[in-house]
Amino acid sequence: MKMLKKLGVALLGVMMAMPVAQASDGELVVYSGRSDKFVKPVIKEFTKETGIKVVLHSAKSTALLNKLKLEGERTQADLYLSNDAGNLQLGSQMGLFQPLPKNVVDVIDPKLRAEDDTWVGLSARARVLVANTGVDTSFVKSVFDLADPRLKDRIAVTHSGNGSFIAGVTVYMEAAGIEKTRDWLEGVKKNANGRTFNKHSKVVNAVASGKRSVGLVNHYYIYRHLDKKPDAAIKVIVPDQADGEMGVAWNVAGIAISKYTRKSAAAVKFAEYLVSEKGQKLFAEMNREYPAREGVPSSSVIPAADTMRASTVEMITLGKQRNTTIDLLEAVGMP
Amino acid sequence: MAAIPLLFVAYSSFQLSPERWIGLWDTRLPDLLANTVWLGFVVAVGCLVLGVLSAWLIARRQFAGRTLAIWLMVLPLTIPTYVFAYIYTSLLSDEGWLGLAWQAIFGDALAIPDIYTGWGAAFILSLAGFSYVFLLARTSLLQSSPCMEEAARMQGATPLEVFWRVQLPLLRPALAAALAVVVLHVLSDFGAVSMLQYQTFTLSIYMQMEGRMDNQAAAGLSLVLVVMSLMFLVLERFFRNRQRYFSSSRARKFQARKASGRELVVIWACLGLIALFAFILPLVWVLHWSWQAWSADLIGAEFWDYTRNSLVLGFVAATFTVVVALPVALYHSRIRSWLSTCYLHLSSIGFVLPGPVVALGVITFVLTQMPLLYGGLAVLLMALVVRFLPLAVQSQEAALQQLTPSIEQAGRVLGAGPLENLWRVTLPMIRGGMVTAWVLVFIDVIKELPATLILRPIGYDTLPVRIWIESSEEMLELAAPAALMLILGTLPALWIMMKAERMR
Repeated sequence: MKMLKKLGVALLGVMMAMPVAQASDGELVVYSGRSDKFVKPVIKEFTKETGIKVVLHSAKSTALLNKLKLEGERTQADLYLSNDAGNLQLGSQMGLFQPLPKNVVDVIDPKLRAEDDTWVGLSARARVLVANTGVDTSFVKSVFDLADPRLKDRIAVTHSGNGSFIAGVTVYMEAAGIEKTRDWLEGVKKNANGRTFNKHSKVVNAVASGKRSVGLVNHYYIYRHLDKKPDAAIKVIVPDQADGEMGVAWNVAGIAISKYTRKSAAAVKFAEYLVSEKGQKLFAEMNREYPAREGVPSSSVIPAADTMRASTVEMITLGKQRNTTIDLLEAVGMP
Repeated sequence: MAAIPLLFVAYSSFQLSPERWIGLWDTRLPDLLANTVWLGFVVAVGCLVLGVLSAWLIARRQFAGRTLAIWLMVLPLTIPTYVFAYIYTSLLSDEGWLGLAWQAIFGDALAIPDIYTGWGAAFILSLAGFSYVFLLARTSLLQSSPCMEEAARMQGATPLEVFWRVQLPLLRPALAAALAVVVLHVLSDFGAVSMLQYQTFTLSIYMQMEGRMDNQAAAGLSLVLVVMSLMFLVLERFFRNRQRYFSSSRARKFQARKASGRELVVIWACLGLIALFAFILPLVWVLHWSWQAWSADLIGAEFWDYTRNSLVLGFVAATFTVVVALPVALYHSRIRSWLSTCYLHLSSIGFVLPGPVVALGVITFVLTQMPLLYGGLAVLLMALVVRFLPLAVQSQEAALQQLTPSIEQAGRVLGAGPLENLWRVTLPMIRGGMVTAWVLVFIDVIKELPATLILRPIGYDTLPVRIWIESSEEMLELAAPAALMLILGTLPALWIMMKAERMR
């Protein structure tokens, strides 16, 4: 019994000392689906300039959107930051966000934001191919070539639950039609032979080590690999660039203000900072993405945005068509 | 309270139209069923072999380093399955230690074993789970009276026959309880299967919720999972119910024989191999990467906050769970009725349902019924209690069952009221079981990821949450120190449990 009593006393002690977990009044709460280390430096600068503190609540973008939806007006979130335009658009359709002021919206490329101003893109990424330089991949010019029988057991893709993968397939479906995309998926499934990767970095690893010849990734994963191993045997193939082809697929990370925030003024300030030239440079450069604000230069390591032909599919489509894409992936039985 | 997530699941699945059910059946269910049952079975066998072997060697032989061996068999409990999976995917890659070792031994002739398979998942989950079997089997072996084995030997049975025909049947209740814990862990495991991309029910449920925000399909799949698990539990109860062993208090304690030189080598070869893969290798890996982080000065002050958050959460949640579980265990072990069995099974639901589903159920309940509670630690605590209640019920009930009813009856005869009897007789007698229950829940709570990820209060990051955040960005050197703290943080709890074991 002595032990139980001690336990009780200790418990009481802990309860008393328990930190008050609620964010205090002056702090902005950001539900963030983006990696902490790419957001924290921006927040640090923002707090230094404005004195407004920001608490990051990180989890998967979709889980946070689900949470936001369930919480409704009881949410503690002031802003929602996602790595996927699809999630932002879905949230906007569920009425979870409020319109951003004109000065925030207008500076962003119109292709990279919502129709009703409820969210703006902050940084864009290209969906490119990575190829091993030691093997002949000269016939690979388009993502559709991943279904080429010559690449049997030689392609590396992430599993079909990956947000970037789904977003990419949505773009191909919009640009090339559902029939062609279905055939393509069947071919990719055959070439992958049941083996997919759970991380983009592992796709790049598999290609660099020569276990696979070609992989489908977001552009920055390739440069991240090259940071660690500058002489890795990999190269970037920007796909679908020829005349009449669809162009490379894009996706953006973006931000929205919660409809139920009680700190609108501070939240708007944060959004303004993120789209300012300084904020844009900080936000995009760290992950070597393309700034969504027109006229802000991208990192010098990556090919300039205007050297690539981008697909004309609008970002809002990524949200509107997501369920169709998932239905297609399930019908094909993509691993 | 335990039924909240179940009600949520049932309600959401009723909204699922028949066509959607057919759609689910056509595309997913058969594969998921096959994968999940297969994984549960293989892991159960794996844990049984590893757990019984190690328990028997340690309980029946006296040898140098026995205490160390016991610890090595229990320590794998401190490593969460997602960390296990993460470490092994990294170890077995081309540049990983095991990958390099494999290539050095076998050259290019034999490819490095692919861990992204059902066998890989079974391997990881067996390593992560066999300690439960070890613990319960060892306790049971220590408590069994030597008379029966001696009687069998006198009747001319060989040692092997004694093992098969006397010890194993005597172990059956303990093994059934341990396997129930192992299999339920497998069914609800999210970490390892998502890391290894092995499609089980839990992973598929999660994908439905994440990918298309389809909570109805997720609920439908959860319902199937619950039915499956209940069938398994009823089967387990059936095996356990038919036998009850009460050890008489006068039995003398078992004297373990001293191991001969050759036995010593065999024992340490077996145990060493198990310990190498289940604990030593992962620990060295974690230490290596933590050292990298430390020397690169990456560990900041917030790191201690994560550790404190984890420990506080584990402490409070475990205490609540044990207290809530006690009446359930008491009720069922003393009064066998349709109602008490029903109640017991109801309380097991939380363990079977995947963490994200429990989390959604609790959010929905709290938001509609008691919105004032929302946003604090209470919601998370509620979900954790619901989720780990069965673990506490199981171990407290096991302790209660070994308590001869005559002791309680004696207390009553001597004039103690029911409450006094509980306080002065029953609780002190099952103290060991209660401590075990507390520690098991504590360990599971501080390792818990999916529900914590969704329900934690704003800014309340725990160690698993950090591991998840860092490892999803491949920051090994930041994930490793968090994993190390998790292991260190669990140690005192394990120590308490081992001490309580010795007191029995």
